Amino acid sequence: MDAIKHRQKAERVERSLAKLQSGDYELRIEAAMLAATHWLNGSLHKLGANGVDSDVLHTYMLTINEFRRLSAANAALLQAVARIEDLRPLHVRGDLPDGPAVADEACELLAEVREIAVRLGC
Amino acid sequence: MHIASHLEKIEHFESARRRLDPLEDFELWFWATMVSGTNAVNAALHHAGVTPAESAFPSQPGVYHVPQPHGEALAVLKDLGDVLHVGRPPIKAPVPEDIAAMMKAMDRIEAYRDPCTRGEMDINQQVVADCEGAYEQCLRLMNKRLNGGK
Repeated sequence: MDAIKHRQKAERVERSLAKLQSGDYELRIEAAMLAATHWLNGSLHKLGANGVDSDVLHTYMLTINEFRRLSAANAALLQAVARIEDLRPLHVRGDLPDGPAVADEACELLAEVREIAVRLGC
Repeated sequence: MHIASHLEKIEHFESARRRLDPLEDFELWFWATMVSGTNAVNAALHHAGVTPAESAFPSQPGVYHVPQPHGEALAVLKDLGDVLHVGRPPIKAPVPEDIAAMMKAMDRIEAYRDPCTRGEMDINQQVVADCEGAYEQCLRLMNKRLNGGK
């Protein structure tokens, strides 16, 4: 998928995310992950780090070697997406307290990812 | 997780689904459907004694985060627990017929995951209807099991 389509998908998910409420915290975290991953992939295509036929599914599925290679392209982007992903086991697949606040954190991280991606011309 | 927590997650996702339009918001509507259905399968597997109902939350097949007394969570290796997606990890033990049907229904939903949320497959009413039908079947079977066959 090319960078333009990744941006369109990310923005589509963000429009849907805006319809959710505080109590929908699990889906807000998932939405942040989905949108941020589209921004990440679009950015990696823009940076020439990955071709349009090579998308990251989740950063934790990358080999360490590949994570380091992509981090060389933009470490802040990779780290922010990874931080969103790290919220999922405890608050989407787990029932630890403070889900709404954690979802707010995920949305703040998504905003950081979006800002970096737009700055990169995505 | 424990069955009560799976049921609470399903309630949250059901509530979110009601706020989303299946076509206009397909990606999140689909995601809520898929994760809610997976919670139903996990609840049913616990109820049948196939997987343990416990405070252990998966991050990848074989790795679970277990809450500790002072609030932090420790990643540990475990063979059995909640599945992340149906088939991830695969359940090697025998599974009751009704849960096998739930898993089959979830496979129908999962087939749309990457093409429709990460790829460019056309999202249309047929896709929505297929997901909705499979999801309803999955929840109906879970409710029947948890309510003693009623």
